[in-house]
Parts: sequence; C-alpha cells; structure tokens
Amino acid sequence: MLTVYIDFKSPAAYLAIKPTLDLASRLSLALTWRPFQTVERDVPKLGKEETVGESHRRVRSASQRALAIKYAGHQGIDLQFPLHPGETDLALAVLAELEGDRLPFVEAAFAAYWKDHADLNDPAIVQEIIAASGVVYTCDLNTAHESLGIALKQAEDAGIVGAPAYVIAEQIFVGREHLPWIEEIARAEAG
Amino acid sequence: MNVLQSDAPLIVYVDIKSPYAFVAIRPTLALEADLGLQFDWRPLTLDIPSYLGSAEKKAGKVVASKGRSQKTWNAIRYSYRDARRYAERQGLMLKGTEKIWDSTLPNIGILWVMQTARDRLGAYFEAVYPPFWRRELDIEDISVVETCLRDAGIEADGFAAFADGAGRAQHDALQPQFHPNGIYGVPSYVLGDEIFFGREHIPYLRWALTGRDGVAPDIAYEIA
Repeated sequence: MLTVYIDFKSPAAYLAIKPTLDLASRLSLALTWRPFQTVERDVPKLGKEETVGESHRRVRSASQRALAIKYAGHQGIDLQFPLHPGETDLALAVLAELEGDRLPFVEAAFAAYWKDHADLNDPAIVQEIIAASGVVYTCDLNTAHESLGIALKQAEDAGIVGAPAYVIAEQIFVGREHLPWIEEIARAEAG
Repeated sequence: MNVLQSDAPLIVYVDIKSPYAFVAIRPTLALEADLGLQFDWRPLTLDIPSYLGSAEKKAGKVVASKGRSQKTWNAIRYSYRDARRYAERQGLMLKGTEKIWDSTLPNIGILWVMQTARDRLGAYFEAVYPPFWRRELDIEDISVVETCLRDAGIEADGFAAFADGAGRAQHDALQPQFHPNGIYGVPSYVLGDEIFFGREHIPYLRWALTGRDGVAPDIAYEIA
C-alpha cells in the first residue's frame, strides 16, 4: 500500500496525480489519499530594496512556477495559477473523512481548483464536488474542520513536511521525483 | 563570464557545501560521460543564512540557531535525511555539517580545475566532496584545498595566487548575476534559455541533449 499526502492547491501534488496513478496501475498498488496543508504563496514582487533572502524567495518561487508549467505541458495540462493561492481546507477536511475510494473526489477537487480556480473552502462548492464525484460522504461539513485538524496533527507527527508526500515501507518521500525508488520498494514488497 | 552563456551545451552550477549538489555530482558526471559531452561546471556559493537562517552544532546538538522556525527545521532535517539516503545508494556517507561553511575556496577550485586540468574535474570532485561530507575537510583552509587538488592529480602551484586574484574575481563576478538571471540554488543547470534547479531534471536534460525525440520525461531521481 502507498499512502499519498496531498493538498489541492499544491501544483506539485496536482502534477503528481497522473504519474502516481500510472505507478499504482502498473503494480496493482493500493493508494490511500490523505490531506496535508501546504503553504502556497504569490510570487513576491520585485522590491525596491530587497534583502538577499527576499530576492532568493522571489526567484525561487518564480522558477518553481515556470518549471511546474513546463512539466504540466508535457502531461497535456495547461497549468494556470489562480490570481492568488486559494483556500482548500474544507475539501481537505472532507478528504480526511471520506470512506471508501477517495480517488474520484481527489480528481474532482484538483480539477475544480486548477481548472475552475474554485474556492475549496466554500461549503456549496465542496458539496458540488462531492456530488459530482459520486463519493459517499456521511459526515457533517460544519464540523469537518475538526477532522482535518486531527489528520494534520497525525501527518505532522508522522514527519510529513510537504506534498505530495509518499509513505511506503516506513519511508517518507516528498515529491514525485522519488517515484523510481518508490516503485523499487513496491516491487520488492510484492516479491 | 555571463552566468547564462557558454560554448558548452550545458552549464552546471554547484557548491561544495550543498548536500543536494553532493548527490547530483556523480549522476551529472555520468550524464556528461554517457553523452560524450563536456559541460561547463561553475561555482555558485550559497548564502544560506539569508534564506534558511543559520545554525551551529557541536557534538550533534544545535548550540545556536537564528531565524529558523520549527517548520524550517523539519524541512531541513527531511532534506538532509533525503540527501543522505541517496548518497548511501551511491556508496557515499553524508553527515550533517556542524556549521555553515564558507565554501568559496573549493568553489574557486572548480574554476581552477576547469581552466588548468579540465579532464581531472571528476577527480577533484571526488577529492573534495566525499571527505567534506564525512566531516574530514576544513574547506576554509587553502592548504587543504591545495592538497585536494594534488590528490586529484592537479597542479596546485599557483592556486593560492589564483584564489586571491583572478579566480576570486571570476567567482565574485558570478555571484551577483544569479538572482537577476533566475538562478537561486544548486545544482542548477542552464540549457540554452532553460534553467533547472535540481538533479530531478537530469532525465529531461538527457532527452533535450539527445535530440528531444519522443515524449519529454517527467522529473525523477534516477536510481541505479
């Protein structure tokens, strides 16, 4: 089994979905999707008086964005960043509470955020995603944040520091660039 | 020297004190050898405290820390663990450093080797990187860097003057050009007008340097 921590507002997590599903399909690997809150920021504007640190963060952010768009293009995805990073807490809370196969909700929520730039903290929108994805959600959206808090604490305690994060054989890997090693472990586990 | 321009097909920026660069050296040298090319290797001396805060350790314990939140610490610890496991796959040892070193001298050494003994560059990296990450080298001591050069079969006479003169000037002239040109860390790769940070782009670089046939590969840390 491969556990995958995601945040719908993370471009890295979004771009990891297809290669992760491809891997799971090749190896008949069961996936468990769990929520994690990443911190996404606007690309800082060039300041008149920038410290080296501020300049570093601005250049890093712009570079990461450009590379995400480049690799998204290779997947056939026209990656459009929202004007400002949105909130995803409620959708993540639902993810924490869903029973059964979470993948339809995961795919629908990523699409809503990245194609429609939807507010995934809006109960009406999250309810629409639940309905459209066909998953069975029996909990209460009004109290879902409590489940998210618990899930995030568990993720933090487990040592998760970013998304997408993969946990397999008690090892944590942050980023889809680790999929070759993850595949090696999965194959070894499968015998 | 313009940070984005070279006669070589690829510019590679590295810093001796970066664990990410450490685990990228052998795969990048292997790419160079596989393709029968010569890359333009250059130093980028990181100003780590400016963006990650600073810390000092003694006997494995943090004794001083400035500007680092718990999240930053967690991310740094993960990064070291991650680099360490990939280093181990390459048969290398990676111990966390006990302070943030000034790597200017061994980085100027890269320029020296590129200009005086290009074919010994791999040997120089082997003489510097693995022992530094075993905590066996004081890379701020020029005599230590000279010994590394000699161990790699490279003439070290004249290096001190180079490190104090032309080499220092070349190194220092590069540093302020990085951010304005979109480069912020190591390893960084410059392929024409494309800039990549991280060895996860090696599959793409191989694809691009061999004609861009077929579908572009995704990012990946290649494993042997």
